[in-house]
Amino acid sequence: MNERFELVGIRPQPVLILPDKAGRHQGRPVFSMAVLAVIVLGCLFCELVITRDPAYMDLQNSAAAPCREFLFGTDSMGRDIFSMIWYGGRVSLLIGVLSTLISTAIAIVFGAASGCAPAWLDGLMMRLTEILLSVPGLLVVVLLQAVLGKANVLTLSLVIGITSWTSIAKIVRTEVRQLRSSEYVVASKCMGGGFFHILWTHLAPNFVSSIMFMVVMNVRSAIAAESTLSFMGIGLPLDIISWGSMLSLAERALLTGAWWMIVIPGAFLVVTLLCITSLGNDLRKNINRKQSSL
Amino acid sequence: MPDEILLDVQRLTHVFPLTKKTAVKAVDDVSFQLRRGEIFGLVGESGSGKSTVARCVMNICKPRSGHIFYQGIDTCDPAAFRANRRMLQRTRQLIFQDSGSSLNQRMKVCDIIAEPMKLQRITPPRGSYRAEAMFQMHYVGLDAGYLDKYPTSLSGGQRQRVAIARALAMEPALLVADEPVSSLDVSIQAQIVNLFKHLQKEHGFTFLFIAHDLAMVEFLCDRVGVMYRGRLVEAAPTVELFANPLHGYTQALLSAIPIPDPRRERARRLAGFHGGELPAGGELTEVRPGHYVLREGGSAR
Repeated sequence: MNERFELVGIRPQPVLILPDKAGRHQGRPVFSMAVLAVIVLGCLFCELVITRDPAYMDLQNSAAAPCREFLFGTDSMGRDIFSMIWYGGRVSLLIGVLSTLISTAIAIVFGAASGCAPAWLDGLMMRLTEILLSVPGLLVVVLLQAVLGKANVLTLSLVIGITSWTSIAKIVRTEVRQLRSSEYVVASKCMGGGFFHILWTHLAPNFVSSIMFMVVMNVRSAIAAESTLSFMGIGLPLDIISWGSMLSLAERALLTGAWWMIVIPGAFLVVTLLCITSLGNDLRKNINRKQSSL
Repeated sequence: MPDEILLDVQRLTHVFPLTKKTAVKAVDDVSFQLRRGEIFGLVGESGSGKSTVARCVMNICKPRSGHIFYQGIDTCDPAAFRANRRMLQRTRQLIFQDSGSSLNQRMKVCDIIAEPMKLQRITPPRGSYRAEAMFQMHYVGLDAGYLDKYPTSLSGGQRQRVAIARALAMEPALLVADEPVSSLDVSIQAQIVNLFKHLQKEHGFTFLFIAHDLAMVEFLCDRVGVMYRGRLVEAAPTVELFANPLHGYTQALLSAIPIPDPRRERARRLAGFHGGELPAGGELTEVRPGHYVLREGGSAR
């Protein structure tokens, strides 16, 4: 053995304890995160917040303006809007999250399969997503909803989910195409890793940051899509309370001058969407910062 | 069984397409054998096809023609490969040149080392995967405090040790190292090569060591093969090759080793080599026991 170099074993390393860094929250959207947290928590624990049964139709007090008894007024069927906001927010947020989960799952599997596929199959799969992208989303949603029959929370999330995965899939595919020839993927294949193992342990952690922004934005657009559909009368029926179905009473409310029926659910919707947008923007900024410091 | 042949590469040829009409012959008619427990070094300039040989041996590239027998199994035959897939993936391990890219930056060191064991569903002999990773890290000279670190926070030498630990965790019969020390600085290179020698003595694995540093190969390997432009031009036991190089390219390569003595270094003469394409054809012929030289076109040198 070569005597000039000894086998280097474990060397003792001095450990420094660093003080906590101050101002960690600087530049983060603290305000919108707090507002979003209030809205989400209020919707999740709506039983503690609501003052009345949101589905009870108090016909004597229909279309009442906001007052002490009805904080946000009542709608044209006499339901208490304050209770409906929290109770219906639960459905709206659920649809947003559920359809995003569905669309993200489809996008990751489809995008990764396309990224790993040989060139001709990849081309075919990408042309398919482009065709889906070029058809107006609303049209597909209406068509699918007609096929699935009467809308409920699950079918609506499914329909929104399977129409909104294409743009995420495109990003996933681009990222996977870059990552798939990297040596750790080759090494993992050598060691016997299958497609889903490589996707889960090697590819997903590396591209999740680049789709995070899109995923958060997907929650936003899913909530907006639900409201749009319900407003047009092809989404949730009136008896399932959500922000969208509350807004579907709006056209009648405008005629009678009952502004609270449209402004209050609309304001909640807009504030929630704005908060999610600023959260998504912050995620994107953070990712850019992290990548530059690698 | 010291003379049992573990890996038998026969007339391996690999061609990389450049465009539709042109292609590059990366490996051209290369044959060599590895006996169980020996260290075989493959040297040659960059682009001489060393890494492609390693990739073909590990089934990353599919060779254009030729056969690779591992324990008598033709690994280039898809059916035979599939039938023995688990065994092949378990007993052959590869170490890459650049540990920065062969380790996933989003995985912790203990997950990296345990990954092949998890994939092959080996129950860790030391209780848990974490304990196993800790043992392997200790074995290659890394502190257990690095278990929960990410590869980016390790130095190059430490990362290469992690890669070695990952390969050794499977207790391979054949270890292929594709320029494992080329991206490291000289003192770390010496440590890693010593580590290889030490580990090989303890484990007794067969080792295909690819390098372009001749001093390293002379120190580590039992036998050496010299590659030039995709051909294996000379293969011999290390002592024999360094004492008595027969092929023109080998002589040129050996004369290029710098001597750490200024007076002798100034007197050193570089052997010339034509540097062009080798003439097509030619066979490896045994000139002395175990010493093979490529005879170009059958004509004697």
